[in-house]
Amino acid sequence: MYNPRAQILLCAGGSCISSGTESVRASFESALSRHGLADEIAIVNTGCMGMCEIGPIAVVYPEGVFYQKVQPEDAAEIVEQHLLKGRVVERLFYKQPSSDELAQTIGDIDFFKLQMKIALRNCGNINPEEIGEYIAVGGYEALGKALTEMTPEQVVGEVKASGLRGRGGAGFPTGLKWGFTAREQADCKYVVCNADEGDPGAFMDRSILEGDPHSIIEAMAICGYAIGAEQGFVYVRAEYPLAIERLQRAIEQAREMELLGGDIFGSGFNFNLEIRMGAGAFVCGEETALMHSIEGKRGEPRPKPPFPAQKGLFGKPTVLNNVETFANIPYIVSNGGAEFAKMGSEKSKGTKVFALAGDVNNSGLVEVPMGIGLGSVVYDIGGGIPGNKPFKAVQIGGPSGGCIPKEYLNTPITYESLPELGAIMGSGGLIVMNEDTCMVDLARYFLEFITEESCGKCTPCRIGTRIMLDLVTRICQGRGTMQDLQRLEELAPQIVQSSLCGLGQTAPNPVVSTLRYFRHEYIEHIEDRHCRAGVCSSMMWAPCTNACPASVNVPAYMAYVAEGRYEDALRIHMKSNPFPSVCGRVCPQWCIKKCRRNDLEGPLAVRLVKRFMADKSADYSDLYPEKAPANGRRVGIVGSGPTGLTAAYYLALMGYRVTVFERQPEAGGMLRYAIPDYRLPRQYVDKEIEGIRGLGVEIRTNVEIGADITIDQLRDEGYDAFFLASGCGREIKPPIEGVDLPGVYTGIDFLERAAKGEKLRVGREVVVVGGGDSAIDASRIARRLGAEDVTILYRRTRSEMPTNPIEIAEAEVEGNKVEFLANIDAIRPSGDRLEISIERMRLGAFDKSGRRRPEPIPGPRETRVVDNVIVAIGQRPDAEAIAAGTAGLEATDWGGIVADLKTACTGADRVFAGGDLVSGAATVVDAIRAGQVGARAVDQSLFPEPGKGYLWEDLSLPEVGVDAEREIDELPPVGLPLLPPEERFISVEVERTISDEEARREACRCLRCDYKE
Amino acid sequence: MKNLEELRKIREEVKKSMSMRDGAHRGKIVVCMGTCGIAAGARETMNAFMQALDERGISDIALTAAGCAGFCEQEPLVEVEIKGERPVRYGHVDAAAANRIVEAHLVGGKPVGDLVFG
Amino acid sequence: MSNPTTEAGCGNALFAELGEFIEGQSKGRDALIPILHKAQDLFGFLPVDVQEFVAAKMGLPVGEVYGVVTFYHYFTMQPRGRHTVNVCLGTACYVRGAQKVVEALTEELGVKMGETTPDRRFSLTTQRCFGACGLAPVIMVNDDVHGRVTPKKVAAILARYE
Repeated sequence: MYNPRAQILLCAGGSCISSGTESVRASFESALSRHGLADEIAIVNTGCMGMCEIGPIAVVYPEGVFYQKVQPEDAAEIVEQHLLKGRVVERLFYKQPSSDELAQTIGDIDFFKLQMKIALRNCGNINPEEIGEYIAVGGYEALGKALTEMTPEQVVGEVKASGLRGRGGAGFPTGLKWGFTAREQADCKYVVCNADEGDPGAFMDRSILEGDPHSIIEAMAICGYAIGAEQGFVYVRAEYPLAIERLQRAIEQAREMELLGGDIFGSGFNFNLEIRMGAGAFVCGEETALMHSIEGKRGEPRPKPPFPAQKGLFGKPTVLNNVETFANIPYIVSNGGAEFAKMGSEKSKGTKVFALAGDVNNSGLVEVPMGIGLGSVVYDIGGGIPGNKPFKAVQIGGPSGGCIPKEYLNTPITYESLPELGAIMGSGGLIVMNEDTCMVDLARYFLEFITEESCGKCTPCRIGTRIMLDLVTRICQGRGTMQDLQRLEELAPQIVQSSLCGLGQTAPNPVVSTLRYFRHEYIEHIEDRHCRAGVCSSMMWAPCTNACPASVNVPAYMAYVAEGRYEDALRIHMKSNPFPSVCGRVCPQWCIKKCRRNDLEGPLAVRLVKRFMADKSADYSDLYPEKAPANGRRVGIVGSGPTGLTAAYYLALMGYRVTVFERQPEAGGMLRYAIPDYRLPRQYVDKEIEGIRGLGVEIRTNVEIGADITIDQLRDEGYDAFFLASGCGREIKPPIEGVDLPGVYTGIDFLERAAKGEKLRVGREVVVVGGGDSAIDASRIARRLGAEDVTILYRRTRSEMPTNPIEIAEAEVEGNKVEFLANIDAIRPSGDRLEISIERMRLGAFDKSGRRRPEPIPGPRETRVVDNVIVAIGQRPDAEAIAAGTAGLEATDWGGIVADLKTACTGADRVFAGGDLVSGAATVVDAIRAGQVGARAVDQSLFPEPGKGYLWEDLSLPEVGVDAEREIDELPPVGLPLLPPEERFISVEVERTISDEEARREACRCLRCDYKE
Repeated sequence: MKNLEELRKIREEVKKSMSMRDGAHRGKIVVCMGTCGIAAGARETMNAFMQALDERGISDIALTAAGCAGFCEQEPLVEVEIKGERPVRYGHVDAAAANRIVEAHLVGGKPVGDLVFG
Repeated sequence: MSNPTTEAGCGNALFAELGEFIEGQSKGRDALIPILHKAQDLFGFLPVDVQEFVAAKMGLPVGEVYGVVTFYHYFTMQPRGRHTVNVCLGTACYVRGAQKVVEALTEELGVKMGETTPDRRFSLTTQRCFGACGLAPVIMVNDDVHGRVTPKKVAAILARYE
């Protein structure tokens, strides 16, 4: 027998085993023997490699080729192709989430590249069941060195010099702890390893015990030598059977080789080790409780002092360290404390292992140098958030820790920086959360955990957390009050101050920390009975309705469409949104992100059904809700975009006499002047505006409030109240050279003039700068106006683009190019053309929105000569004139009006404001919501009636029952019916309306989440 | 375990079989193992290389397989690449030739002229 | 007092084995938890008569043994079904939708959390984190971990256990 020529390393960490490592191994074995390779190629089981998400993992050496999600049937292919013929099996390569590139070897994968492995140095690289492999990578050398070349004091000295701090949570300096225990005089001392990893979401201890058990044995023996102990205990959770099995085996092997037992390395030092199984009590992670548990008692904590260093296990001096802490010890003894101290930050030395889980692409185990930025762990190593959803927060440190929101992604991870943000290092659980997590519910979840795990010894912890849980539960159920919030804030510090152990002292942390950063979510639950994440189901009509800013009753109209009752469907829609045709074409569909059908084959095509039913009715006049008799009051609305018209619509239905003032020649605002007609043909805008006019709303165009007439003058004319909704109509121009040259357009100006049918001069080559809707729209319009070569320059990357990915894809289908990480910093004339200077960007630190801030790469600029430049980097309101002309109104520094988004109140009496004018640019359906808010504000100011219900809040079940026993069949959603690109350039709508049959079939897919019985 | 020497001895023994995982190879031997190669005896060649490397305790050379290189005539075909040097191709490599290649090229540093082709 | 263990007919041989195990342990109080683990392995749960047996063998008051049994979640005094379905409610699983899996399981089995089906086929329980967060949401049926569970997959997983 000689050494094998190749080795297949199979990850046999707990996660990969449950993904099927065992059957993959069997399949490899049979394939190897079938091809007569059994003697040539070895299969080695290793511990966890850390990428649990994509297991089972196989790495083939000598090349180090990394295969993911290997199934038993793949093993034969790897053997036949790779091992026999030398062709790697690309199909099984890992695709990097950041670049979509395939990675061939371990070294190519970002996840591994950015890590620094000390504690996990052997995990995934050696066979944990073979002591020989541990020795081959230098194992037990540190123990040998300590026993034969160092005094116990020198060992303690190295640990002190390393700056190592307890990795279990509290971060107490390990060297000091060892020193204190070493100083004690006693007939007997103990070393205890805390492997009662109870924090939900942390699994590094399990991985180390499973993947590198000898490192813990070696470290505990070193510790025993340093402090004068001959007996050690490893306290492991009973939930970790594999860890217990491997550790037991390792202890036996170490005994056989006399690395445990008597006279180790001939030094006269004796050391023995025993495993003690926990029995499922979170509080046993607390050191005094843990020691009680080893003693066979109830795992209740006791007061400190005396500290375990003086009186620990069985009343003897004891060192108690966590698994990860121990895992660092052999490295420190072998390489010296100073070497270890070179890694990390000033006060937090070395590395830290994090269990990265939750909404992150590469969930798994990562080890990083202390001081690394939080965002770097989430994005560079973790690969970001699946589906590119927005990052919301991380929960760090388990139930005793806290959450950190997107504003702090640049925070370096150290023992000092995390407490400043209300979190702790803890044992290293790092749970990533996206917008689908409700922070109030998260606090409730942790409180529930704490109340179940409180050992009951201290009343404030036992009863206090129970009361907190009741309060938070009430808030989650939509029954909370602001007093409840106040009580929570009073109780929290009391529990902290009057509990004995770490569990109680940190029990209120989840509430304190979510209140610190997400107070607005608590308030939304209390005041608006709204859960933005769509988690707290008792205050939700249906997930889609909850997600819709206008709270459209989607399940109800789906039920009617499914029955073929299209007019009834539209009647439902009109209660909360008078723009079914517009929204049926351009709604961003927040609803479908929460559609429960996402768990099956995909969400409902809500917008397509809406569009279908809207197009079914040529005239809406019979479909609007009943109009109340005239109430004699007059309301003036400024701006005829979707916000102003929605407010006008509801106020007219309530009996007000409404006049809308519009500075443009025609009504519609952005619907008419910004959204191109290939997405939204004007006839549909006209149809819905005519419908609103039909309710008695007067629209006066070509009137600019502030310039032509003022609010105060209108008040004198008899208007009782006003709602300002003049939107964001002014382009933000970048402060660069040449932005006013002929041939340079701004996005809004370009779209508006195109919409008005102006003959715009567009040359062959056009560059558009920006990444939002108006940039994409402008690029596609430029093509329709004759440009042949259109390039969009965007300063960030595709995943940060704020526009709908379908729009980007369609622009590309039509032949437009997008260059990412590019910006222009000057435009100069070049004959009758323009020379642009392009700066290349890179992503730097995180900004407050949780996105990486682009920064220019220094160096020479690239120049390009083009015919036109369209600058579409953003819009802002221009309400300075209105504000100046109205007493009490205040303008923001970006041209908007200062107003409360929830109440629409401004500083002026009976003058309200809403929509883009107040919030900045948003979507159509957000604008409709703002119109509802404005209508309510006006009505309440003239006829105050607290608790009055409004039309859009009136949600009820349709007259169509639900067959609760109905089997749910898989039915793929209807495809997006788009015109082929070659037919698009004659200014027709790119998308078509689906058929009756398609619409009814699609509507049948609705799971009817409104129906709760 | 009586002393560090004993530990280090075990270490050296096991280390050989594991060294391929650290990726620090001085070079590699690629044996073409397409259908034609195997028919021409590439399996024996591969075994011979494994044995030869093992006997000499060479652990810093990666031994891998490749598919058909197209020169079916010359099978079994072997390519030896030492880092920083031009790869050398050998044709008709049988067990004896494999031994010569290991001895002369990998240990001695000189390609075996009469076996080189192309 | 009723005696569920002997009623179930699994009595004497198991008690003998447990007795032997206790003999082999150290005489100290610290052997209690390992002994209870062994007893639960043997009997499937820890009914009162088993606790009395352990107490007598170890020379401890029964109340002490009871106090320990009831303190730790892992020990149970209720008989279990043939298969135990454990839903991980760790944070990662929770964030990834474990609650929906719980709903699907309770619906599929027709019992609530902590209960056993009338045919004794399944017991349904929850646990805090198996440490398989990379595969969240996770359920464990006996010792088999099933990862990335969706409500849709629940029936198929259960069908594998008779």
